[in-house]
Amino acid sequence: MAIHLLLLFCFNIHIQYKLLFPKQLVSCLGWTTADELYSCSEDHHILRWNLLTNETNLVVKLQEDLFPIDLHWLPKTVGGKKQAQAEIFVLTSTDGKFHLVSRVGRIEKTVDAHKGAVLAGRWNYDGTALITAGEDGQIKIWSKSGMLRSTLAQQGSPVYSVAWGPDSDRILYTSGRQLIIKPLQPSSKVLQWKAHDGIIVKVDWNPVNDLILSAGEDCKYKVWDSYGRLLYTSSSHDYPVTSISWSPDGEVFAVGSFNTLRLCDKTGWSYALEKPNTGSVFSLAWSADGTQLAGACGNGHVIFAHVVEQRWEWRSFEITLTKRRTMQVRNVVNDAVDILEFRDRVIKASLAHGHLVVTTSLQCYVYSAKNWNTPLIFDLKEGTVSLIVQAEKHFLLVDGAGLYVFSYEGRLISTPRFPGMRTDILNTQSVSLSNDSIAIRDKSDEKVIFLFDALTGKALGDGKPLTHKMEVVEIALDQCGPSSERKIAVIDKNRDLYLTSLRRLNKEHNVCKIGTMVHTMAWNDSANILCGIQDTQFTVWHYPSAVFTDKDLLPKTIYMKDASEFSRAPHILNYVGTKVTVRRGDGSLVYSSVSPYSTLLHEYSASSRWEDALRLCRFAKDLSLWACLAGMAMSNRELTTAEVAYAAIGEVDKVQYINSIKELPSKESSLAHILMFSGHVQEAEATLLQAGLIYQAIQIHINLYNWDRALELAVKHKTHVDTVLAYRQKFLLDFGKKETNKRFLQYDEGVEVDWEKIQAKVEMELAKEREKAATASVKNSVAFRH
Amino acid sequence: MAKDPLAEAGLHFDELNKLRVLEPEVGQKTTELKEECKDFVDKIGQFQKIVGGLIELVDELAKEAETEKMKAIGARNLLKSVAKQREAQQQQLQALIAEKQMQLERYRIEYEALSKVEAEQNEFIDQFILQK
Repeated sequence: MAIHLLLLFCFNIHIQYKLLFPKQLVSCLGWTTADELYSCSEDHHILRWNLLTNETNLVVKLQEDLFPIDLHWLPKTVGGKKQAQAEIFVLTSTDGKFHLVSRVGRIEKTVDAHKGAVLAGRWNYDGTALITAGEDGQIKIWSKSGMLRSTLAQQGSPVYSVAWGPDSDRILYTSGRQLIIKPLQPSSKVLQWKAHDGIIVKVDWNPVNDLILSAGEDCKYKVWDSYGRLLYTSSSHDYPVTSISWSPDGEVFAVGSFNTLRLCDKTGWSYALEKPNTGSVFSLAWSADGTQLAGACGNGHVIFAHVVEQRWEWRSFEITLTKRRTMQVRNVVNDAVDILEFRDRVIKASLAHGHLVVTTSLQCYVYSAKNWNTPLIFDLKEGTVSLIVQAEKHFLLVDGAGLYVFSYEGRLISTPRFPGMRTDILNTQSVSLSNDSIAIRDKSDEKVIFLFDALTGKALGDGKPLTHKMEVVEIALDQCGPSSERKIAVIDKNRDLYLTSLRRLNKEHNVCKIGTMVHTMAWNDSANILCGIQDTQFTVWHYPSAVFTDKDLLPKTIYMKDASEFSRAPHILNYVGTKVTVRRGDGSLVYSSVSPYSTLLHEYSASSRWEDALRLCRFAKDLSLWACLAGMAMSNRELTTAEVAYAAIGEVDKVQYINSIKELPSKESSLAHILMFSGHVQEAEATLLQAGLIYQAIQIHINLYNWDRALELAVKHKTHVDTVLAYRQKFLLDFGKKETNKRFLQYDEGVEVDWEKIQAKVEMELAKEREKAATASVKNSVAFRH
Repeated sequence: MAKDPLAEAGLHFDELNKLRVLEPEVGQKTTELKEECKDFVDKIGQFQKIVGGLIELVDELAKEAETEKMKAIGARNLLKSVAKQREAQQQQLQALIAEKQMQLERYRIEYEALSKVEAEQNEFIDQFILQK
């Protein structure tokens, strides 16, 4: 999944143009569509700016005594229905009122809300409630039509800014130097912390990444998580930070100050700084597609900026968004440069798996890395694509209405959906795509992961989602191998890394923990190798599936290295070929190379070239490689190779066990013992019973000291009861214990134990099995490889 | 001197033997006085004109001086604000430089990481060739 987030290398803000229309301070603004903005100024004008036609119209001149402070458009998605454009906005003013104003500028309703000025007014995400904050220190919630629902909070100092939580069930507001998160439910716990050394003037909370921004008069801006933990604090600016705003996708944010506009990454470090001559930037607003930014300036300007110089890298290609509609593709190997031109503004792009996918407001362009001249172009239904995720054979587009899987030929393959799906908050951490499956973490219950077949869009298996025991933070599907062995790596809230198979053979998902304190992870694009940063160690799981065949093997397949070069809070962007790209907390990119041998080994194992695999391991002389080979061979039931590999890593007990499996007479019992090898007792038993090898099934349980089950089987099939009893007695004798098990006491009475007779019976069973196998092997030798 | 009866009647003859009511001397003096008065009035008028011109000139000068004074004050203020402007500009440029420096530092770290990868890969290639 980090593969998708290919290297947003360097952003720049390009200030497009600024128009000097209102002479008075512009106090607030808001976008209606991606190209239309409304702004309000102290001289009572509401202006409409159309960026397509570069026109500016006066919408209305408000009455003389109305001084606007804040403006917020009602969200477009109301009750699940999509409206073409926003129809109404809330305008708060200095006289303690707020006004609901229509598109044409008519004041539909005016409500007396606060004593003193109403400093902020915000709709929640579904547009069902409005929150206002006043100079009087009160926070009030209103219905859509402007009826007072409740006064949520009251304090002695003015509330300068307020923001809704991601699910619209909490609000964040300022109280002097403190930030307060208050849930709407009255009895819930309030979170409060001191955030700045000066009064906090602006806050913002992004629903996609759940991070909080605050800007204060101490000339700093800070990034927090929703638990109030500080993630980033900026150095002190020359002037107070007056405005701050998340881009809709939560990847970047903008910061405004006196003559200053800054673009920052979500981790806080700064991409770009501009020093326009604007006075203080009092308010910032991103257009819905996240490509354009508008600022309300103290000198009466409205400033427009858009993001350029975004960069993507994949193998030898480096792509830069040079202008809004132009990309430059550079092949660093031969310095060939191609220029890609688009009809509309580029909204999103993704480069991976040899394809570049670019979406504009109306179309989707798919380029192959082999040919930059002729893209495949198809129209988009909805427009604003918020996320592109690529896999080798197809890619996923996410827009406000749904998810769509397209092939690189531009054919719509499937549209997975589930009840209560919210696509607007999906990001690379919560969606993962592989060649055959899609995994999506639910928003309402973060423990739940929905799994879909990528080709049909239907839910996988019995349709039940995968439910983890903890809230899931990040998911990633492995990219290679057959769909039956598709695995998903999951990082939960405790930062534990789990691995599980998507297609469950038995009913329970076998979820195995393979790492702790894992902050970030990524699958390799060409082999099922996982890399991650575990606490202070950079870790590569060369063969994570080993955990399903031999748990003890897993630690031996891991490569670890000190991650101190990645400094604080690193994030793995991708793992392509043998190169891992990591973004450090300070924004610099660092690379780490992983040995290419394990990729080769994966290839050999996939194509059953065990001789080559052995040769490779002997050549590389690496214990972790041998361990990987042992795991691969074992899961493919390639016993000879497994034996060599286990011998190489010094696991004598396992070598012996494998040898004993090899000597087993029938393929059913060897299969059962291979299952036993991986600890799947139930499957092993079922295999044997299915083949009619009842004695062998009983023997398995005897060997495991699983007496109850052994006796149960013997009784059920009316055979070898005496054998079980004999072994039990021997066991008790060896350990000097007395029989306490009621069932054994009961059967002890009726059955006589005669070791000679039992041994003869066992011999007979084995002879029978051998005979049966001999006849069957003639038939099956073709199907069964060994 | 014998009294002229005419003179007693208040009548006199002048040189041109014209009959006069005033004594010729007085008449002459009156005429002189009249002329002198006229001269005086003329001169006063001239003086006034000259003084008026002077006042006008001085006024103009005053005005000019005033504008120059204002200009000087403006220039002085401008000079002061230029210093401040420069300071602000310097501040801005320094902020931009700091930004670029941070970017440079990021590139430096990236370069180092890539160099390390290159060295590792070279080592790997060498080893590979050696073993073969």
